[in-house]
Amino acid sequence: MTQLFEGIGIALGSLRGNKARAALTILGIAIGVMVVMIIASMISGINRSVQHTFESIAPRTFLVWRWFQAGVNISDGSEETSPWRRNPAISGEEADRIALLPSVRYVTRRDESSARVEFGDLALESVNISGLSSQWVEVNGGDVYPGRTFTRLEDLANSRVVVINKKLEAQLFRGRDPIGHTIKIAGVPFEVIGVYTPAPSLFSGASPPFAGIPHGAFEKYVPFWKGWMKLAIAPVEDVPQQQAIDEVTALLRSMRSLKPAQENTFSIITQDKLLDTWQQVTGVFFLVMIALSSIGLMVGGVGVVAIMMISVTERTREIGVRKALGATKREILWQFLVEAATLTLVGGAIGMLVGGTVAWVLSKATPIPAYVPIWSIVVALAASVLTGIGFGLYPANRAARLDPVEALRYE
Amino acid sequence: MSLAQQFRTGDTPLPDIIILTHKLARAYDMGGEVVRALRGVSLQIRRNEYVAIMGPSGSGKSTLMNLIGCLDTPTGGEYWLNGQKVSDLGDDALARIRNKEIGFVFQTFNLLPRATALHNVELPLIYAGLGAKERRAQAAQALERVGLGDRMEHRPNELSGGQRQRVAIARALVNDPSILLADEPTGNLDSATSGEIMEVFGALHRQGQTVVMVTHEHDIAAHAARVVTLRDGLVATDQRQAA
Ligand SMILES: Nc1ncnc2c1ncn2[C@@H]1O[C@H](COP(=O)(O)OP(=O)(O)OP(=O)(O)O)[C@@H](O)[C@H]1O
Ligand SMILES: [Mg+2]
Repeated sequence: MTQLFEGIGIALGSLRGNKARAALTILGIAIGVMVVMIIASMISGINRSVQHTFESIAPRTFLVWRWFQAGVNISDGSEETSPWRRNPAISGEEADRIALLPSVRYVTRRDESSARVEFGDLALESVNISGLSSQWVEVNGGDVYPGRTFTRLEDLANSRVVVINKKLEAQLFRGRDPIGHTIKIAGVPFEVIGVYTPAPSLFSGASPPFAGIPHGAFEKYVPFWKGWMKLAIAPVEDVPQQQAIDEVTALLRSMRSLKPAQENTFSIITQDKLLDTWQQVTGVFFLVMIALSSIGLMVGGVGVVAIMMISVTERTREIGVRKALGATKREILWQFLVEAATLTLVGGAIGMLVGGTVAWVLSKATPIPAYVPIWSIVVALAASVLTGIGFGLYPANRAARLDPVEALRYE
Repeated sequence: MSLAQQFRTGDTPLPDIIILTHKLARAYDMGGEVVRALRGVSLQIRRNEYVAIMGPSGSGKSTLMNLIGCLDTPTGGEYWLNGQKVSDLGDDALARIRNKEIGFVFQTFNLLPRATALHNVELPLIYAGLGAKERRAQAAQALERVGLGDRMEHRPNELSGGQRQRVAIARALVNDPSILLADEPTGNLDSATSGEIMEVFGALHRQGQTVVMVTHEHDIAAHAARVVTLRDGLVATDQRQAA
């Protein structure tokens, strides 16, 4: 114990004495640890709110998409890497037929685009516009206040009514009551009937301006990329989700005349599946994190070997003296290992402070809800200490094996 | 030599013989050529003796001191320290013996430059496994003994040569060793300071400390009660003298 403290004291002393050399080592370790901290904090933060988002959506609702790839895929536009081309678009007729299934309570459609939105003299470019069925608030979570969302009748009649989110309200109306006013979407006038607040979620604090209009009106008035309609389906109460999924699958397969051997030409996504996918994405993040931080730790490790070899050489006489006074090999080894670990621990602590600060800034200045989990602190500090011990072993062993007579004679 | 035990291989030294070497040899293999630094030194030193070792440069004085101090292991012969045969002990056991039985004083002081006088003196106690409080108290006491009670927090570069050597002596004494070994302890000091250091050695010897000291200077050796001369790795003369 005393020797541990003494070792740390010596280490800090030699850090002060060899600032330039120590800086390289500390920098390497600090970068490694910083990367761990930042990425870990991002993953944890996003994970937290993803979970929150999923919990806030009606849990039994599932989605029918034209294409959904579990995991991450990179496309060059060819047929093999763009397999969605084999899948036909989800049609309105399919949506209508699904709505008639006994296990289905309701189906909401969703198409997305962006368009110019105007109010009086004000104009905003590229506002997110969604075409939605009337039950969309129940599917997405959140609520509409003040005002209301559009009714089934307005939906069927392609009425020009719009629900806007808080951000768009703030940008267009600047504190005035928006209900009843008319705004132009893609040049077409719509009446504002409600203000939407989403369920607290991933990017809720910074969600961009958004306007939701009836799906029919969307198709009629807003230019959009056709063929990517998504459906959200809520099963009837008391019917298991799986039963509804089976019925929807069977219906779509028969409508598309798929033979038993053929795969589905559509994707059904449940929240479990989305969570799985999310976890795969975080897995990739983790790999990147491990790769980057190991490079940092390696650089730091090489620095440790260099600085410790110099330290051992410079202090050859000291090692001789300590041996003459009764230090065993193990005690010398321990002293230098503690010194190496102290060096890397200082680097680790600096990296942690910087990384923690970056995570904090990220969470304040961007929509990424980064937060630093305790485990990442433990992992970061443990990794830096282990790097010190691992890379310090060679120089420390050199020191421990020095012959005392030779060491005492060293000039 | 008249008081020495007739020692043969297989014997055990008499109880008051603290150092016994029997045909002690140390050869260095210099890439095929063998340098025989010691060629069979037989020497017996009793408790509370004050011995000076002299001899021309290269005669093997330092080599002998290193063997007696358990810093080095012989290539031939026997070495008994305090009734224990140490010539065939392993590294860790030798480290223990250096810590408990031996106090070293070097020509070049060999203090840790960044540590205070007090911390330098504490070092052997750290390796002895003493607690911080006890260590501090004993180290302070050892510094008082060599007259440096008021210099405990000074670093070596804030001390004179004579003061540094006193710190080194305090460090050698702090573990209450069986023998105090000094290899040319006044080699780096002017004659006035050398005199002071010899006073310290003399006082320690009068308090019962066994002292073995290598020196080149006859007036330094004159402080000792016995002078052993080495020549070419062998004992040339071994004389008692009036102190
Ligand atoms: N590590 C070594 N390798 C080879 N030869 C050595 C080594 N150490 C000492 N020697 C040789 O052993 C002999 C005795 O050396 P030692 O240092 O004991 O002499 P010394 O009596 O202390 O001399 P000095 O008065 O100059 O200090 C010398 O010839 C020296 O060259
Ligand atoms: Mg010598």
